[in-house]
Amino acid sequence: MPAFLTALNPGWLLILAGIVAIFLPMRRIRQSIAIGAPLVGVALLALADQNVNHLTASVLGLDLVLYRVDGLSFVFGLAFLIAALLNAIYAWHTDDRVQDGMALAYGGAAIAAAFCGDLMTLFIFWEITAVTSVFMVLGAGTRASYFASMRYLGVQILSGVLLLAGIAYVYHDTGNIGLQVFEDLAAPGALLIFIAFGIKAAFPFLHNWLQDSYPKASVVGAVVLSAFTTKLAVYAFARMFPGQDSLIWIGAVMTCFPVFFAVIENDLRKVLAYSTNNQIGFMICAIGVGTPLALNGAVAHAFADIMFKGLLFMSMGAVLYRTGTTKASELGGLYRSMPWTTIFCLVGAISISAMPLFSAFVTKSMILSAVAHAGLPIIWLMLMFASAGVLEHSGIKIPYFAFFGHDSGKRVKEAPFNMLLAMGMAAFISIAIGLPAVIPGLGYEWLYNLLPYREEAMNYQPFTFDHILTQLQLLVLATFAFVLLKRFGVYPPEKPGTILDTDWLYRKMGFGMAQWAGTVWGKVGPAMTAVFFGLTGRAYDRIEAAFSPRGELARGGLTGAMAVWTAALLGLVLLLAFITVG
Amino acid sequence: MSNDTPETRDTTGRFLKRAAEKAHDLHTVSDEGVHPMAKILFGWTETKHIGAIMFWGLGLLGAFLIVLDLFVNRHDYFTFANATGFYGLYGFAAFTFVVLMGWPLGNLLRRGENYYGDAGGPPADVDPDRPQGPADAHPTYEGDE
Repeated sequence: MPAFLTALNPGWLLILAGIVAIFLPMRRIRQSIAIGAPLVGVALLALADQNVNHLTASVLGLDLVLYRVDGLSFVFGLAFLIAALLNAIYAWHTDDRVQDGMALAYGGAAIAAAFCGDLMTLFIFWEITAVTSVFMVLGAGTRASYFASMRYLGVQILSGVLLLAGIAYVYHDTGNIGLQVFEDLAAPGALLIFIAFGIKAAFPFLHNWLQDSYPKASVVGAVVLSAFTTKLAVYAFARMFPGQDSLIWIGAVMTCFPVFFAVIENDLRKVLAYSTNNQIGFMICAIGVGTPLALNGAVAHAFADIMFKGLLFMSMGAVLYRTGTTKASELGGLYRSMPWTTIFCLVGAISISAMPLFSAFVTKSMILSAVAHAGLPIIWLMLMFASAGVLEHSGIKIPYFAFFGHDSGKRVKEAPFNMLLAMGMAAFISIAIGLPAVIPGLGYEWLYNLLPYREEAMNYQPFTFDHILTQLQLLVLATFAFVLLKRFGVYPPEKPGTILDTDWLYRKMGFGMAQWAGTVWGKVGPAMTAVFFGLTGRAYDRIEAAFSPRGELARGGLTGAMAVWTAALLGLVLLLAFITVG
Repeated sequence: MSNDTPETRDTTGRFLKRAAEKAHDLHTVSDEGVHPMAKILFGWTETKHIGAIMFWGLGLLGAFLIVLDLFVNRHDYFTFANATGFYGLYGFAAFTFVVLMGWPLGNLLRRGENYYGDAGGPPADVDPDRPQGPADAHPTYEGDE
């Protein structure tokens, strides 16, 4: 391969293609570039040697590693490239230069960030993902999406600023900006970088930008968004904070709390946003455990999640495209009009629920085994609880309320062929990596072969009788619970409404306080001005009364004043005389 | 079509393209707007007593899996997880708890659709030919008076 090709980061290729696409009015050529670039990227990545710095630079005394592939980044880069390809196919029916180009550049930035070898390059692509991804939300073109995109941009840029501040501390302390593992959060800058990653991974209480923006994004935009930002953060954690104990608890909490929100949320794309939170929680928890098995699980689950979460977002996007809504209260019975979309959505739903023969079964089980190996019963119980929760909101609620359940009477066309094709490809991957390795190297072994700790991964057996039995028990009895609750009419009905989450703090309370402060300032400001002008005005009046041409001193009463001054001086002299004599 | 015409020809004498017609039928939406594949793939969901069948079927399958557990000596890392049917019962309990929590949480956290003033319409890139109700005609957006 020519030297310039071996040094070409696939992410850079996508960013360049994206920039070209923005200015390319010929629709089909632009879309062909969007499909071709990820394919070329996969080829470049497959041919790239691992653990070698392919491209380095030295800028302002900083040693930058611009392209480096290793076992960890390879899986993420490959998943991002496949996602970029599926997104381009999914967008084939649209004609939007900005969205096409920005989606490509966004994916490219995530890939370039995964394949860099130093903090400064990571920061630059970290910010490019923020700036390019905001167009996915803006593309919806509604006022709500405009406001949501501004909040989104603010949060994303905050993450970048914190990262940069952290890098500055690290550089000052060690003089080295290479990617490194932070074992102690008290190390200079480590906590700042931790929080910066935590924002993008949507940690509890930092999560709301995700639920705020993804459901308001355009049909294609939400699919594009679902793949990159949060998984890039997972990669960054796996790279720099493996075995960080606090991540165990953060991850476990992250898996559990969105479950409750997802049950009562009416907007199915928002349910998927909570589901994203929940799945990222599994990965974060595994990274906190930090054993080879756990890290393999986190990476494998990230790969699987990019596929099946993308698939679920695609199916809801197809529903939104044809019906104009994703509100559960307005949907139902759509399998009559969209049977293929229904099938693909069901594949995604079953995959995320970790049904044997589907992808999450072989990836999530590594995480659960690793947590058990580490001897963390409470965490393990929390993750099991969350697994039942996933089945509830992603496995059953999404397909049931959109495609089955109460018939909404909506009769629409099946999704466009390109959407079905993209969904079919994602569904194929979700099934293919969940199959037993009947042919060695295929099925789940294909994915296990790519994992960073390959030996450990290949020694792990997901298809044991115990595991299949216990997982089936969990799924069948939880599904039975759904049928039971439905049958006895105690399943809460889907009602339209807004569910309060932590964004209430800044969208209502914070905004209210800012408004209150504005009102207060509106009154205090003039009052303070009035006091100031009152004081200065009075002083001016006095001075004017004394010294102005119309004033006391100009009135010619000088003789009288002389007598007063003389008397005063005489008195002073007399006083001094008395004191000195006495 | 008259009765005396051979089955392979129509009234004008043209040959019927049966296979092609069948394929055509498979992607032609019926007058009621039902996709032909829907009947094939999901027709079973409309059968009579499907609710009862699902209920008893899943119940029996669950019971079978728990009974099967009696005969299997599992080796879990935690002793409590080795209890017969632990996974099934835990999944059942967790699922039920989550769903039932939906009632109080819904009452506590659900507000009006325009709580933040941004009920909004669908995004710009939805199908322009989608069926539109009267409600869609006048969408209200955040910031609208």
